[in-house]
Amino acid sequence: MNHNQQPGDGTHEDDAALSDFLASLMDYTPTIPDELVEHYLAKSGFQCPDVRLQCKARQAAVVKDKRDKQQKDKRLILTMEDLSRALREYGVNVKHQEYFADSPSTGMDPASRDE
Amino acid sequence: MSDGGRESEREPEKPARQKRAGGDELARAASRLAVAQICESQGFQTFQHSALETLSDVAVRYIYDIGKTANFYANLSGRTECNAFDIIQGLEDLGLAQGFLGASDIEHCLANSGTVKELVQYVDEAEKIPFAYSLPQFPVAIDRKLTPSFLQIGEEPPGEHIPAWLPAFPDPSTYAPSSSRIERSTEPPTAKIDQESRNRKVERSLLNLHQRLACSGLEGPSVVNHGDATKAKQAVGSNPFLAAPLQFGEKEVSPVLLPAKVKLLNEATMRNPSMENHGRDNHVSVLEALAPDIEAMEIRLLDSEEKEKEGLLNSRPAVQFKIGIGRKSLGTMHDLSLQKKSFEVTSPWFGRENEKDDKKMRAEKILKESMGHTQELGHL
Repeated sequence: MNHNQQPGDGTHEDDAALSDFLASLMDYTPTIPDELVEHYLAKSGFQCPDVRLQCKARQAAVVKDKRDKQQKDKRLILTMEDLSRALREYGVNVKHQEYFADSPSTGMDPASRDE
Repeated sequence: MSDGGRESEREPEKPARQKRAGGDELARAASRLAVAQICESQGFQTFQHSALETLSDVAVRYIYDIGKTANFYANLSGRTECNAFDIIQGLEDLGLAQGFLGASDIEHCLANSGTVKELVQYVDEAEKIPFAYSLPQFPVAIDRKLTPSFLQIGEEPPGEHIPAWLPAFPDPSTYAPSSSRIERSTEPPTAKIDQESRNRKVERSLLNLHQRLACSGLEGPSVVNHGDATKAKQAVGSNPFLAAPLQFGEKEVSPVLLPAKVKLLNEATMRNPSMENHGRDNHVSVLEALAPDIEAMEIRLLDSEEKEKEGLLNSRPAVQFKIGIGRKSLGTMHDLSLQKKSFEVTSPWFGRENEKDDKKMRAEKILKESMGHTQELGHL
């Protein structure tokens, strides 16, 4: 609970764990390429010699996002509906403009829709 | 090896396209690809376009936000370079909406942060999928070729007020207007040369004409104005006989022949709507009656001449037509009157002697004949 009890040892352990983790990142090849991450970090003003942690974090976040999608068919299709639902949990509001003839329940309140 | 080579070959195309579209196009495409790969690893086989775009957009913004937050934390600590702890703090900040283990602990060590633990978990579990393509470092910085300064060239700056360390002026040929008077930029050079020679001929003939007219006392001291329609009009307003000749630079044309006729014809046929003649209507009403006759002849005549002549005439001021016995008056410039008061069909204006005298003779004859007709019809 209270990490301050043994600041020396505790932090040392944590630091060690962290540094180990960071070292392990060297081997890891994230799916999101380094150049891409570097590009966007440069845009935001981020200055850091290594960005591996970023890539990892990003990928983890996306995967988490992914996992939240509901499974509809055997053949998984990433649809806007599922995506918007999952993103809403993360606080991202993507309301997709529905076309008229998509489904009979087009235009109805999503909460009242029968899923 | 061949596959890898092919894949990397595709990359060069993207930067070329990307340079035109902006720096973000390549990044977005790459992010779309990466996200698609991640989704695939999670079991998604197909994607909706919009969904994929949205997710990749979210991913990109997440990266951006992490960078911003981490930078913010680094600046807060008085540093410009971020370290791992800044990132972890950023992750915490961004992950607060979702929540992570230990988020409520206020005094926890960053290395112990729940976000880090989650990351560690992920790294251990997830399979490693490398990005399908090898991205080059982007955006590519283009080497700008700076214009050398005066000093570098060894030139003297034109003017004392220009210091020598400034970049030199461009070559005058790049910005000086071309010498051709005719505004036909698309013509090939040879055609231009031909036109130039024709222009000169026309100019010469015009000058001759002017001289002759000046001698005959009917032509005022008008100058050959190149492309100065307004001036001509002004001159005409004051004294029709002092009007400046048409801007012959505009139309590639031999001097005017039968302006009255041509005007008439034009009005009757409504061929050139851009004429600026005031009070033509009266003429038209009268002359329309006899138009067909004259038309037929005139068309033939005109076609043998150039169309530009009409254009040349069109820009001239109104014509006064006098229906009467055809007066063969050399040097009468009847058509230069802006105020027309009566229906008068002037005799054809044969004033201009030029190299096409024979045509003029023909025209005169035809006109005379038509005038004969006109007189008859005029009474109607």
